[in-house]
Amino acid sequence: MEIDGNTLIFIVIILFLFLSSPGGDGVSSQYEFNQLRSLKSQWSFEYDSFQNMTFNSNFQNVTGFKLSYQDVLSDSNINATFPLPSKDYDHWEQNQNYAVLPDEIINKVKENIWTDSDRSSDTNVFPSNIPGTLLGEIDLVSNDKFEQIPMPISKFFEPPTEFSDTTPPSGDTYMHNWPLYGEFHNVTFEVGEISIQITHKDTVSDRLSQSNGKLFNSQADKWKVLSLRIDFSDKNENEKHFMTTNAIYDVQRGRILLMTQSAKFHSLLAIPHYMGLQYQNEDEKMFNSLKKLVKEYWTASNFVESLTMTDLLELYDNAKFKCEYIGFLQLEPWNKYTPDQLKMIDDELNWPLGRPANLSSLPPLKLKSGILYSPDCGIELNLNNVKGKRYELQMRSIRNHLLLGIGLFAAQIYLLLCQMQHTNTPSRVNKISFYCFSMINLVDGSLATLYFIAASVLPQLYLPLVLSSFACFILASIFETRYLISVYSSQFNERNVSIFTLLRGNSNDSENNRATNATDNFITPDEASISGTIYGRLLFMLICFTLLTLSSTSWPRNIRMVFEYVLIFIFNSYWIPQIFRNVIKGTQGSRQRRSDGSVSQQRQDEMPLLWKFIIGTTIIRTLPVAYVFTYSSNVFRHHKDVKFVIILCLWLLFQISILYLQSILGARWFLPRMAIPEGYSYHRAMLSKELLEHGVSSNFTVDCSICMSEIAIYVDDVPETHDRDIQSFMVTPCGHIFHTHCLENWMSYKLQCPVCRSPLPPL
Amino acid sequence: MGPPDSPYAGGVFFLSIHFPTDYPFKPPKIAFTTKIYHPNINANGNICLDILKDQWSPALTISKVLLSICSLLTDANPDDPLVPEIAHIYKTDRAKYEATAREWTKKYAV
Repeated sequence: MEIDGNTLIFIVIILFLFLSSPGGDGVSSQYEFNQLRSLKSQWSFEYDSFQNMTFNSNFQNVTGFKLSYQDVLSDSNINATFPLPSKDYDHWEQNQNYAVLPDEIINKVKENIWTDSDRSSDTNVFPSNIPGTLLGEIDLVSNDKFEQIPMPISKFFEPPTEFSDTTPPSGDTYMHNWPLYGEFHNVTFEVGEISIQITHKDTVSDRLSQSNGKLFNSQADKWKVLSLRIDFSDKNENEKHFMTTNAIYDVQRGRILLMTQSAKFHSLLAIPHYMGLQYQNEDEKMFNSLKKLVKEYWTASNFVESLTMTDLLELYDNAKFKCEYIGFLQLEPWNKYTPDQLKMIDDELNWPLGRPANLSSLPPLKLKSGILYSPDCGIELNLNNVKGKRYELQMRSIRNHLLLGIGLFAAQIYLLLCQMQHTNTPSRVNKISFYCFSMINLVDGSLATLYFIAASVLPQLYLPLVLSSFACFILASIFETRYLISVYSSQFNERNVSIFTLLRGNSNDSENNRATNATDNFITPDEASISGTIYGRLLFMLICFTLLTLSSTSWPRNIRMVFEYVLIFIFNSYWIPQIFRNVIKGTQGSRQRRSDGSVSQQRQDEMPLLWKFIIGTTIIRTLPVAYVFTYSSNVFRHHKDVKFVIILCLWLLFQISILYLQSILGARWFLPRMAIPEGYSYHRAMLSKELLEHGVSSNFTVDCSICMSEIAIYVDDVPETHDRDIQSFMVTPCGHIFHTHCLENWMSYKLQCPVCRSPLPPL
Repeated sequence: MGPPDSPYAGGVFFLSIHFPTDYPFKPPKIAFTTKIYHPNINANGNICLDILKDQWSPALTISKVLLSICSLLTDANPDDPLVPEIAHIYKTDRAKYEATAREWTKKYAV
């Protein structure tokens, strides 16, 4: 492309716009700059007061902690301003006079959750690394018993009301005055499900200096900083809540304290006080050590300086649309291991070298008890039976499952190759059902797409996922589609022929004549255009189907389950089209064949699908479904439903048994004999007087008018011709004789007699 | 050889016959290599004949096809022309068509 002056100016302008757009902190206007400055000064101010805080001093101006539960209890219309005239700022005790938690909750934590007192903590052993996803139940204890503590949001968070605004307003907004308040700030279900995704935060990165994460925790043997993502919802997933939060894990005692953080709740600075709810004698020591941890985190992450507009908006959104939660979780101890063994297990999980860690018997991470309390919404939630595998083990088992899946794909490819070998002539391919393989192909194709999407979402499983996706893709787009193309082209001349005519296979009625005449002017397209059509059609179906599947994940659970069941059921009916196809083609059963006594019919009536293929494909396709639905601890966290699997297996067995009966009794055994007129058989013996019309030579041969070579004919009333193969030639209804392969070839182009142009019944 | 009762009489016309790989299930490709003035044959020598296209039958032999081409030379089919100008002249001014055809035959095919 030639670049003239105007284009160059245009490019320069574009580049200028790009490069001059907001830098690291995302600020793009004077208003936002001031907003961010207010936020930074708010945090630094509160951090200053935090640094002066001692074990015995109360929170002063820390956002969200200005009021204690008792303050609200004595005056429910109290405003969270600092300083309150009658408040005691010089003491701190673990009760509702000082904390945002009511005494009831504090006592519950002391008695039921963080129960093990100091003396038993020496005997309990807890793993020092606990990444993983824990699943369990959550139930509502109360949502109206406790007073709600007013937590105002500073007004400077609000977006500008006018374009010309440059300074954000000052003051606080109380959430009760906010019009949408209440919609997201309540939990109404009784029992629900919770998932807690735990990741360790050993390093923090300082966004300003662009350095990679650096270690900040000098007391890693005592405390671990965790990052949690908590999702909970009712069983039907109508009401969903989620939050991401930092948490502190007490390695020695297996305690986790989580506190959400938002524009109305600066919980980072409150961690030292709230972790100390249970310790009597070590309180002050622990307070100082946690204060040190918070300080280290603060300086290592360059907390105030690296705040950006994105952080500001996130804090604001969290404050507006979510409740703040304080959570107290107690981990189940792993007392059967010594600390040294635990260290070895950790090492082995991180760098598998084959240490004798016996990972397969590793118990799951399990919460003994847990409580979530929201001070600003007054909600108390209880956690039950929350457990999950270590992250590394989870990944490992998913990886193994994926590899098994690749094995299944390989087996499927092998079976398909056998099947293609089996049906290598047009007339055999003709008997295969196009829709049967389309269904199989659609499933494989969408699997390939889903794997691929998953690979881009889960970078840790990138390699196995991409491999699976590739295997699936090869299977679907190369082997299956090739086969589909040959099936389609062999059945092309049946377009415009009604099913009924095909069923009858008879050319003598006028309907068939009309139908065949309609195809007369139609030239069979070449392979390239057929494959173009098929690829296009399949791709379109695939994209539609994948989009549907992806969107279905966000539907409510009831609809989703119905959708899933219906879908699985439909996609496991893949032999039904083949049964129909067999009926249409009307092959004879092996029993009838034997009773005929002749060698005839053998070739034409063989079942089009190999038994190996049918059984193998069914097993390959049922195994994953059965696994997902019957093992309650499967990797996909699917619920257990044995009944459905049994029904599905019976349904598949039913299909296979019909196929089997068709091969024994004939394809149309279940239709009444009256309903089906005898189909036309191309392989029949001739009578010598019929042959006279064809100018027969002395040894009962005629010339095939397609290949111009001789055909030896089986003549019924001439015994010396009875050693000739009746399968080697075909006789049309109009009485013309051709080699079997010649006419079959031609019939794949057109159902018309080459000599007299009269219509031919399909094979 | 042009048929005697046609304006092409006396001319010798050469044709190229190309057999596709799936002959006899696909029709052979036949074209005139000698220039000829005919409503169903264009300047490249392509022939517009139904049995060479969708009415092909594997029972047709090359001699039958050539016979069909010969009869096409005698009786052109102006209703399904490949060269509309010639077909128009053929229909409106038969004498002029025959004169031109004879002239071309003399010029190119003798």
